[in-house]
Parts: sequence; C-alpha cells; structure tokens
Amino acid sequence: MKGKASVIAVSLGLLIWLAPLWAHHSFAAEYDEKKPVTLKGIVTKVEWTNPHARFYVDVKDDKGNVTSWNLELASPNVLVRNGWTRKSLQVGDPVQVSGSQAKDGSNMANARAVILADGRKVFAGSSSDGGPQQ
Amino acid sequence: MNMLRASVILSGLTAALLLGQDAPPAVTSPAGAGAVASTVPNLPSTPAPRLPDGKPDLSGIWFGGGPVGDLALGLPKGEKIPLLPSAEKIMQSRLSKDDPEANCLPTGVPRTAPYPWTFATAPGRLYMLFEGNIHSYRQIFMDGRAHPADPNPTWYGHSIGHWEGDTLVIDTVGFNDKFWFDFRGHPHTERLHTIERYTRKDFGTLVNQITIDDPGAYARPFTVTFNARLMPKGEMMEYICQENNQDVSHIKGPAGVP
Repeated sequence: MKGKASVIAVSLGLLIWLAPLWAHHSFAAEYDEKKPVTLKGIVTKVEWTNPHARFYVDVKDDKGNVTSWNLELASPNVLVRNGWTRKSLQVGDPVQVSGSQAKDGSNMANARAVILADGRKVFAGSSSDGGPQQ
Repeated sequence: MNMLRASVILSGLTAALLLGQDAPPAVTSPAGAGAVASTVPNLPSTPAPRLPDGKPDLSGIWFGGGPVGDLALGLPKGEKIPLLPSAEKIMQSRLSKDDPEANCLPTGVPRTAPYPWTFATAPGRLYMLFEGNIHSYRQIFMDGRAHPADPNPTWYGHSIGHWEGDTLVIDTVGFNDKFWFDFRGHPHTERLHTIERYTRKDFGTLVNQITIDDPGAYARPFTVTFNARLMPKGEMMEYICQENNQDVSHIKGPAGVP
C-alpha cells in the first residue's frame, strides 16, 4: 500500500514537472505549486484561445458569497492533440477543479484536473493528465 | 522494489504520453537524448529517407531541436557556458515577465518553442515554418549568395544555407539583441553569429548542433546540441499567441526558473 502511494506520488511529480514544457512562459514564475487549490463551482465562460485555453468558474462559499476564478489550461493545440474538442467543457457544467494558484494571489490558477458532476474527468492543464474520458 | 515499480510505471506513462494521440515528445532533448528515444518505440531507427537528388529528406513535422528552458542543457557534460561578466549581469537582472516569448514575440535562434515546426522548400530557398511562438517563419537562402555587408538587425537574422554531405548547415548573422535564448534569460548582442548543423540521424531524430559565437556576450564560441523528434502523424495547426495572452501581468520574479 505504501508502495502504491509512493508510485502515485512519483507519477504526480512527473506530471507537475511536465507542465511547463507546454507553456510559452515560465510556469514557476506565474504559478505556485505550493498553493494548490481545489474549487467547486459552475463554468460561466470558456475561451478556446491561444496561448492558453481558459475557463471561468463561479465558486460559492459557505456564506453564499460568489468568487469568480480564471483557470488556465494548455493551448487549444495541445488539448486537441490529446483528444479534446472545444465542446469538452461547456458553460453551465458543474465542475471540481484542482490546480496551482497564481503567485500574485489573484483568483487565477493553472487547472490540472477537472472533474464533472458525473465523475468524468474531462480536463487538464497539461497533456499529461489525459484527454476527455469519452 | 518500490523504486523499480515506480520507474516501470513512469516509463509506461511517459511512453503513453508520447505515443497517445501522437503527442509530441515532452522534452526537447539535449545531446543525450536516449531517455526520450527509448520511450518512443514506434519510431523505427531506420535510416533517414532521401529525396530523388540523394539529399536527406528533412520534411515532416518536428518537435524540439533547440533550447526551451535552459541553453546549458545542450552542452557536453561538464562544460559551462562562457558568459562574459557583462552578459552575466544582464542575465541576473532579467525578469520572467520580460521574456519576449511570454510576450508573444519570436524565439529567435536557436531557441525553440514547445510547438511543432517543419521545413518547406522553394527553388533556392528553404523555410522553417513554426506553429508556435510565434506563428512565424525563417527564410534561408540556398542559392549561394553571401550575407549582406550590414544586415538590418532582425529577430531571425539573415540566413544562408548549404549542404555538407548529409548535413544541412545554416549560417546566420544580422540578429537583433531582443530575444532570449531560454527561460533563464541567456542574453546575446547584435554580434551574434550562429551556425546550425542539422543531421537527420535516423527516421525519427533530427540532430541540431549549434555553434554560438558572440564576442559581445560570451568569452569564446561554444556548441550546444539539441535533438528534434519526428511527429509521424503530426499536422501543423494555427497558434496566434497574441489572441488572449493574459499571463504577463501575473508573472513574478527573476528569470531563471523554467
């Protein structure tokens, strides 16, 4: 069991290490791997654009306050090469997102994995997380 | 045991990444490209195909072949980049947010964007077409002309090329001093002169050996080697970086981290 855990940890390490290789900018200069975020909310906008595809999620806290997050993915080119379409994630989708927050503390993050309400894992910040499970 | 299992799974994962949906190799490999090559078992190590005129066929969609994060990764083991003190000072003062590539400006030479590229030919000319950062091209004159005496400084410079056996040699001068060699911010001056030597070592590998000569920034000429890998089923796609670049205002800190 412990062995399995370490394998997963090492694999995860590789995934994180791969992330910057797709970007046109220094990953570590923009995002902080030590600031992991997990967000649950509703997709309000999807930008299928270069240099990065982006989507925006409204997250409601316990008191009902809504915060909008700007979430960065790989470029559409990288996503398409990994089996995505521009319809893989759509406005209104309830999602759970995990990623790394921007170093400047803004409500912006590099999305590493996105899980839909039905449990389907459809999105990732880098190709290493796989494409849509369809 | 755990380590062994981890490495087996990692190898499998890496292979899956590289092979699944024709994803390009994730690493622009320095000279020692064995780690990547060993994870791409579907690319035969057969000889490079040839054109009717006998020259190696360099067509195809390539990935890598130049520095992305760190120019020093292309050095032979144990060597260091011979930075002049003035160049080292410039490098240390650079901020990641000012990296031209982060600002959707060209890579220059020999930096490579993590996007595919290809060669295109016309009589007396050779073009390098880049998908990514930026969606642009280099023009290489293959008609025997010389460099102009005082070329206008540009991002890709003035390039002339010729064949030496099976190696395509591209000689370039006339660069501006605006681009960086990598995320770390290795600098250069307008005195930069590059000689790229492209050899298609086998079906899937294009070796690019680059000599960098810039007496304005480096104490002596030095050579780095990076391998480009073939994307056998790859196609070029559109990539307009200026379309929605929100990154720069969020990038913090000095250059130097990939």
